Amino acid sequence: MTAQITVTEGGISHNTLMIYGLVGSIVGIYLTYLNTVTGTQLFSFFGGLGAIAALIWGSSTIKRLCSYGIGTGVPSAGMLAFGSGVVAMLLATKFGIASPIVALVLGLVLGAILGFIANNILAMKIPVMIQSIAELAAVGALVMIGFTAMATGSFTFSLLSVIPVTVLGATANSFGTSLIGGGLLAAIFMLGSIALQHGFNACLGPSEKQDRTLMLTAEVGFLSMLMVAIFSFAFIGIGALIVSVLVSVIGWYYTYAQYIALSRRDAAAWLDSKPIVEAEGH
Amino acid sequence: MSALGGSGPAPGGAMDPVSSVIGLVLAVVFIGVVFVLAPAALMPLLGIILGGVLIGFGVHFVPVGGAPAAMGQAPGIATGVAMLAAGAGLAGLFGGAWAAELGVVVATVTGAIGGGLMMAITCLMVNVIYVFGMGIPAASGKVTKDPLTGDTQAEYKSQGTEGHGLPFISFVGGVVGGLFGGGGGTLIYLMLLQVYEQYLPAIFNAKVEEIMPVAVSLAGIFAIGLFLVNAVLAAYNITGTIEGPHDPKFKRFPRAIVASLVASALCGLVAILIVVVNLNI
Amino acid sequence: MVENIVFGIGITALAGALAAVAGAAEDTESDIGSQGDPNSQVQLAPQMGFIHRIFNKAVAGEPPAYGLWCALGAGLAWVFLVKDINPVLALILGATIATFVQGAYATSGYLGRTASLAKFGQPVYIDILKSMLSVTMAHAFVAIFTTVAMCYLMNATLGHPFPLPLLGLVWGIALGAAGSATGNPFYGKERQYQNQKFGAGVPISASGNIVRYAEAGQRNSLDNGWFSAKLGGPASGVCFGLIVFLELWRTILFEHIAAGWGAIIVGLAIILVFVVIDRWVEVYARKNYGPYTAPEEASS
Repeated sequence: MTAQITVTEGGISHNTLMIYGLVGSIVGIYLTYLNTVTGTQLFSFFGGLGAIAALIWGSSTIKRLCSYGIGTGVPSAGMLAFGSGVVAMLLATKFGIASPIVALVLGLVLGAILGFIANNILAMKIPVMIQSIAELAAVGALVMIGFTAMATGSFTFSLLSVIPVTVLGATANSFGTSLIGGGLLAAIFMLGSIALQHGFNACLGPSEKQDRTLMLTAEVGFLSMLMVAIFSFAFIGIGALIVSVLVSVIGWYYTYAQYIALSRRDAAAWLDSKPIVEAEGH
Repeated sequence: MSALGGSGPAPGGAMDPVSSVIGLVLAVVFIGVVFVLAPAALMPLLGIILGGVLIGFGVHFVPVGGAPAAMGQAPGIATGVAMLAAGAGLAGLFGGAWAAELGVVVATVTGAIGGGLMMAITCLMVNVIYVFGMGIPAASGKVTKDPLTGDTQAEYKSQGTEGHGLPFISFVGGVVGGLFGGGGGTLIYLMLLQVYEQYLPAIFNAKVEEIMPVAVSLAGIFAIGLFLVNAVLAAYNITGTIEGPHDPKFKRFPRAIVASLVASALCGLVAILIVVVNLNI
Repeated sequence: MVENIVFGIGITALAGALAAVAGAAEDTESDIGSQGDPNSQVQLAPQMGFIHRIFNKAVAGEPPAYGLWCALGAGLAWVFLVKDINPVLALILGATIATFVQGAYATSGYLGRTASLAKFGQPVYIDILKSMLSVTMAHAFVAIFTTVAMCYLMNATLGHPFPLPLLGLVWGIALGAAGSATGNPFYGKERQYQNQKFGAGVPISASGNIVRYAEAGQRNSLDNGWFSAKLGGPASGVCFGLIVFLELWRTILFEHIAAGWGAIIVGLAIILVFVVIDRWVEVYARKNYGPYTAPEEASS
């Protein structure tokens, strides 16, 4: 990029956001387990809220990493996060009820090794590299498992790959119409990775403010949540679907309105049908 | 550029011997784990590592100019290097996956040709736009003479720029990069498909034909994820822009090979563990 | 594999046509929205003191962005297909919802980047947002729908093993890469820097000095789209259309010859043909345009 990547100081510290994001996403994803406890699918939307918590954490990590000038721009960090995150997440789903925790730990380990490769073998020598890549891989894994739990109501491997279907009175296992079998992971993968980097990438500039960046991350998070709610149409009942869609729409509308208000606050001017305002001396 | 300090990537391409050895030791450990837990998956894991190395190496051939190329200020294609390589590799993976029943060798070569074909068409259209749409001949800023054709470059470089378009060496580099990327991605996909076809029927207590959708999708999404990881690591190695195989930055590739080796061994291990870990909880 | 070759060739031709339309629409959309590498100039201009009325859509680059829209459109279409909704309706619904997401991302990208340039006095022009947004969403719909339809044909009629969302991801990224590679220089150099001399690259000293006052008053992104739709868009369409068509054509016609090696040899032959054409184009430029300076004067 020819434009500068500058970092602005102030706002909530990265470690605070990391703790809130980590705890928030684990709690959110585990709350979908209430589905199994209560025998319904109404609590699926908590997976989406957990994913948004992880996205906000990841957005702060990307900002921290990219302010060191890694030379390839912001979106590739999102790709690295989700490329390693999807690998960690799929193995984690084999651990039953411990899946979210395993996803977090596995993501951190995988990311740390990848960060070591990037920082030491590729000699990038950026102080926060290993920690940032570890965090990003963990965020990728958590976002994927959160959205998957929201779409299907559960996060275990067997339930994600097989759906019992009833054909002519006999129940058979269908693999092709499941979340994994149908390849829907690809759509969730892209939803997450673009949402992760969009907050920082779209608010890039000298007058970047942290509250606006995080609000944008929350907005695209809720937008992705709305899309995953529509995905869940194929897997969960109509009642749970309506709950998911409602929560997503309300969350998206609120964060979007807030984001526009914050942009209005920060912009140099908010003009409608006015000509170019020439800068001084040009 | 670094706004907050940090020394940035090391100049030149010096390999750090200590971390390279640590990386290689890690890779051997990962291979050993698979050898112990799932001996039938050992050859596929080696295939995955080879595929990853091909991707990482191939990215170094692709000529990418970044933002200056979009203004005719630098030679190369005006897109991000990781995603351009991903585009070519995935187009190759598409063809290779279609030929999966014809055997590993045929399918991998088909995937390679698919990736190379996409890069050939794209690079040709880039030159067509530069020559016929903008009236700008191709010129390199890094060499005085094109290594393949012997054309002199300096006098065809417009004033105030570093070169523009795709000189023949860059074009060939792009095609070669597409070949390696498409072949590498397809190889990863085929190896994983082999592993899943072998282990998944036992896990689900179903026939191979029934679990095929899950095997194909899992292998496909893993191949894409591994592709992106390797491409981004290679992009970090060349720090964003490279003119092609004649660029001095190209000499950094040994680092990238070690990096791709370790990263692919790690991700391949995790991908194989999915069908090995059966806790039934 | 395809049993009936004639049917396969027909679908290949249709897929190639859809791909050509997708490529043209994708490039025009990214030029109206100003996305990807040329957008760095739109971002740089206020920092150099050149305030402008161009839409600054900062949504990743074109390959990942189109990977998202097409994978999302394909995923949504897949969900509707699983629920036994008519395929055509499923494709249209999927593309429409994906376009809505694209619009939301485009708006937030413009607002975010422009608000973060407040230090240099670049205002947010709400009328630019309102005018450009519907146009860029319209082009995006065309690109997404044609790509997802093409993927559906590949999966449902040609028998490709990948499920629809995975195909959407693969071809979305390829679409973005091809369209971005072909269309970006034309928009970036030819239109953004139209005031520079034709037939040469933009000198580094002119960075940021994009055209802001043009044929009909103050330039906006619709003017840029009008221009690049004349050459950059169709060229991107030809590029992506050729990629899809030739890939499918060589597979369908030659796959069963020599157990797959037929398609490989044909593919290699096509690559060599393109290498020859490219060399001809390069020599044509050198001979007919001539050097900028005499060879002895130019220093290495």
